[in-house]
Amino acid sequence: MNGAQAVVAALEREGVETIFGYPGGAIMPLYDALYEHPVRHILVRHEAAAAFAASGYARTSGRVGVCCATSGPGATNLVTGLLDAMMDSVPIVAITGQVRTELMGTDGFQEADVCAITQAVTKRNVLVSSADAIAPAIAEAFALARSGRPGPVLIDIPNDVLKAAVTDVTSPPAKPFARRGAGPHVSDAAVRDAVARIRSARRPVAIIGGGVRADSVELYRMFVALLGLPHTATINALGAAAPGDPSYLGMLGMHGLKAANKAVQRADLLIALGMRFDDRVTGKPERFARDASVIHADIDATEFGKIVSADVALHGRLDDTLQALIDELSRGHVPRFDDWAAEARLLGGALPSDHVEAHVLSATDVLDRLFAALPPDAIVTTDVGQHQMWAAQRAHPAHPRNFATSAGLGAMGFGFPAAIGAKFAHPAAPVFTIVGDGGFQMCLPELATLRRYDVPVKIVLIDNHNLGMVRQWQELFFSERYSATNLADNPDFVAIARAYGIEAYRLESPADADHLIERFIASRGPALLHCACHPTENVWPMIPAGMSVDDLMEARG
Amino acid sequence: MTCELTLRDVRSVARIVNLAHRFNCRTTHIQAAVGESTTSASFAFDGPAIALTRLRAQIDRILEYETVA
Repeated sequence: MNGAQAVVAALEREGVETIFGYPGGAIMPLYDALYEHPVRHILVRHEAAAAFAASGYARTSGRVGVCCATSGPGATNLVTGLLDAMMDSVPIVAITGQVRTELMGTDGFQEADVCAITQAVTKRNVLVSSADAIAPAIAEAFALARSGRPGPVLIDIPNDVLKAAVTDVTSPPAKPFARRGAGPHVSDAAVRDAVARIRSARRPVAIIGGGVRADSVELYRMFVALLGLPHTATINALGAAAPGDPSYLGMLGMHGLKAANKAVQRADLLIALGMRFDDRVTGKPERFARDASVIHADIDATEFGKIVSADVALHGRLDDTLQALIDELSRGHVPRFDDWAAEARLLGGALPSDHVEAHVLSATDVLDRLFAALPPDAIVTTDVGQHQMWAAQRAHPAHPRNFATSAGLGAMGFGFPAAIGAKFAHPAAPVFTIVGDGGFQMCLPELATLRRYDVPVKIVLIDNHNLGMVRQWQELFFSERYSATNLADNPDFVAIARAYGIEAYRLESPADADHLIERFIASRGPALLHCACHPTENVWPMIPAGMSVDDLMEARG
Repeated sequence: MTCELTLRDVRSVARIVNLAHRFNCRTTHIQAAVGESTTSASFAFDGPAIALTRLRAQIDRILEYETVA
């Protein structure tokens, strides 16, 4: 067995069935080991898509996503996807080829110090120096990617190490990390303190974040139902609320729903669960929920007090924390907050939207119709921009794993390859991606990936001939100086899709929307729905960056 | 702010210095001794209080990610 075969054997031991990648010189021994091997390699058309596809796979399945690339440019093309995974706590293992050991430091062909480059975008990286070290390195990488707060790990393997014979063929220890286990024990005293605050609160609001994806959805639904608690979600936790839960107020944050933002601002107690008070949620922290004391639960202790001070910090796995809170509540008086929840709902109202002439396609109208027509088990990924916010406002996913978006990093080009990854994780589920005309053009070549593997991902392209979100900010905050946001010269996306052999529908008139959406959803294979939308429709409501809900805007002017 | 750290990965010394620079902190002291499997390192940093708080949090995260029982 050589080093490359050891890589594949180690991946098999971790239960890996699918990896996303792109070959090149330094990593050729690994591709040779993959040839006709049961571990399935999906050839993407750009390494960035490999990382995003691995992320889509991981986000929607809970399993570790795996991507690989060659040295130098192959590896550097993974960097954005690794940072995206770091920001959103997504477990990914990236394997990169490196130039031969003897060439390292000579500015050799396709040489890059990828470990130095990725130190800030991974939980850890390792340069493997011998074939015998490969199996333990991969076992450790998977353990670390999954453990605690999940995230990306990179393994860089020189070409000669991939080709070298493995001399120690004993299996690596099954649990190289003791930390792989239960995680920190949630403090009993902190749980009692939290429950005492819940019992004495008058206007508590729960905020659920991406931490809920760690197998905590059912417990979270039990917790909020037990109390009749009004609750809201960050974009990474959409789907945490039980379908139809009347106490759920919708998404929180800059483009969140008015009821959610207003309720949080009026709250006297915030119960923040697996969320990190991102600036897109808090706006100006000093003006965020000024009257509230804060219970903050997180697996990552460094989140406590980073942006918002916690009166009670619950450090541990979210499922353990929620179970402890439920148990402690059940030992005594269980307060109900139904009246406050009803009052909080009334703080909102219908989503505001710009007036669009009746004969022109409105992006918000298209998305309203689309979400109404989607099957309940649909998995939706989005790219980044206006369509992302419109989708997040309107989506009602059955589970947080049914909605995947580049939240923390906001990486354009994410949505389409992430949908490909999601489809490989869930072959039987209907998978849709909602993209804009800007981000879609960052990953157009992945249409070839769809065609090659006949992956029935459905692409909804919201084309407003603009980099819409930047255009919106230019309109509102830069005196309508539209610098470099006009995409009036967009290509014919339908023709492009058809050139790749992808079925494509052109939606231009509101009158055609329902039947075209229906045909698009029912289509058998991969398909594109090109929506020629109004060019200047904006996302509302909006809390301008660095402001508070007191500054919420609901329309132009 | 001073830190006495036991690091599994000697590269974390450089990572911590880079983070201090990013947060507008000044590294006023570094001492590191590389052992068989760990590195003992001491640091001192000057800077705005908020920056030092953020730096400390990031250092804690580095330690968390490289901890081996």
